[in-house]
Amino acid sequence: MKLLEHEARKIFAEQGIPVPAGSVIRSPGELAAAMETLGDRIVLKAQVEVGGRGKKGGILVADRSNAQELASRLFAMEIGGIPVREVLAVEYLDIRHEYYLSISVDRSRKCALILFSDQGGVDIESLARDRPDALRRAAVPVLMDRVPPFMIRDLLSGAPAEIGDIINRLYAVFCRKDALLAEINPLVMTPAGLYAADAKLVIDDNALRRQGIAQNRDLTEREREAEKHGFSYVGLKGDIGVIGNGAGLTMATLDLIQYYDGSAANFLDVGGGADQERVMHAVRLVAADPSVRVIVVNLLGGITRCDEVARGIIAAGVSQPVIVRLAGTNENEGREILRSSGYRMLDSMEEAVRAAVEATR
Amino acid sequence: MIYADRNCGVIVTGATGKQGVFHISLMNSYAREVGGRGVVAGVTPGKGGQEVAGVPVYNSIREALREHDASVSVIFVPAAAAADSIMESASAGLSLAVAITEHIPVHDTMKAIAFAHLHDCAVIGPNCPGLLSPGEIKLGIMPVHLSMRGHVGVISRSGTLTYEIVDQLTRAGLGQSTIVGIGGDPVIGQTFTDVLRRFEEDDQTRAVVIIGEVGGSLEEEGARSTDLPVAAYIAGVSAPPEKRMGHAGAIIEGGEGDARSKIERLQKMGVPVARRPSEIPRLIRELL
Repeated sequence: MKLLEHEARKIFAEQGIPVPAGSVIRSPGELAAAMETLGDRIVLKAQVEVGGRGKKGGILVADRSNAQELASRLFAMEIGGIPVREVLAVEYLDIRHEYYLSISVDRSRKCALILFSDQGGVDIESLARDRPDALRRAAVPVLMDRVPPFMIRDLLSGAPAEIGDIINRLYAVFCRKDALLAEINPLVMTPAGLYAADAKLVIDDNALRRQGIAQNRDLTEREREAEKHGFSYVGLKGDIGVIGNGAGLTMATLDLIQYYDGSAANFLDVGGGADQERVMHAVRLVAADPSVRVIVVNLLGGITRCDEVARGIIAAGVSQPVIVRLAGTNENEGREILRSSGYRMLDSMEEAVRAAVEATR
Repeated sequence: MIYADRNCGVIVTGATGKQGVFHISLMNSYAREVGGRGVVAGVTPGKGGQEVAGVPVYNSIREALREHDASVSVIFVPAAAAADSIMESASAGLSLAVAITEHIPVHDTMKAIAFAHLHDCAVIGPNCPGLLSPGEIKLGIMPVHLSMRGHVGVISRSGTLTYEIVDQLTRAGLGQSTIVGIGGDPVIGQTFTDVLRRFEEDDQTRAVVIIGEVGGSLEEEGARSTDLPVAAYIAGVSAPPEKRMGHAGAIIEGGEGDARSKIERLQKMGVPVARRPSEIPRLIRELL
């Protein structure tokens, strides 16, 4: 789950990483009190988890004369479809240089990967593409509690040595918070020293509970509803509802729909043990999306009982046609149950997908 | 066949849970069918002395090893304790730990794999269906009836999609040497590269199917590392960026790990890539 900037910067500050003075306001009226300690120039930053929010007008520099007006403007905005409900007001920094610093999970080396650049402030993808030489990396072996000094020397090269302390503090945040990504972009040098001028922290969804996070905010309402039943759900933009068991098979079903020039409305993986009850909930959940015109169910498994799945589909009683591919035990029984209720059961995922695409034409 | 043969004794951890009991009996019925040793002991701390599915249960792996000869563990322990079970397996001297468990926090997985590495214990998974060498041994939860003994190696980040492709291979008369589900998490023990290295030393295996998906670059790294003939299928061509597609590891991040660029890189290395799962048998036949 992605944390908002103000949540991440609080965690960074607790670990001793310097952040600019500031506070969060939830309405333009709260600004006056927040400004008292921040000086004559401030920066107003919309708290939405949307990449490139600066370019979308979500970050504004203000002074005493126009701060109120600019704050009102931010609170009236939607950025990337998300309404602005919180604004972080911070002191304006006299920036002399911008650095990039991040720690992420390196899938190949199976450990933390530190990225550092003395060309910060731009997004990391374009930096990696345009100036690969300006990006330095260090993979920290998992069982280390601190970043070895030689790695810090290699990372910093000519950059100020005090950044080394911030690297170690960010590494502590990364380990302590079950992070998949901890990023400071930019890390800025000012006459008063270094500051994390932005803060990004992504927490492992599988560690939310032990991190004291009750709810995964990254999920939409329907995705959260799906999670309650133990399904993985992702909403998409098409008109063919998709239910599969197993993430790979479900993804492959979506890809086949695209291959046959159809368009999927969702990804729904029912997970293991697809019984009558779960299948019924899955079919209803997918059918509740008004853009769904036909549903394709693709279930394959050694122990999946096809008769139970068939009864679940019928029990859902949805208005859209449901096209089914089932393979498992009691296949013939399942086929018979579906056929007698007017449902189509096909032998392969390709046939099922083609029938679903044709049904939307 | 790679990693294990029918003579390997198997210990199941999390043996007294619903999944553990169920899959001990499935693994052992397959072992009887192929004349293998199968699961010789179960482990659940605090439940030593019980018996499940005809197998004695011990409090620890070390305790089980005092009574039984075993070299492999299959882990069904819930996510909060599964990494510990991987480390216990390695510390007890097992050469392979197969972690079926889903939802283990990544930081726990990274530590457990690093620990296992120090003890020369290979980890398959987590979040995987395990391994199946048709006619030889089954470690995990793969259905056996779709498979057939033969010369095609299969390595996959997925579960049911693997069964789908194995089914297609079998229907086309192309049997399998070993099918390895390496897991759907961002950090996993044995990668495509590691499994391919084992296949290279295996006389039975003549070509390998790589079943990948969006996220990371392990598929390309594997294909680059081997001289074996390889064909691939990559799921997630239609996956939107920054969305997790069911598997914790199936996510396109920062413009990296999307299916199209993966496919392009594989094709540049001369690896034929199927656009649909049903094309795999033809591609493999052309390689043999």
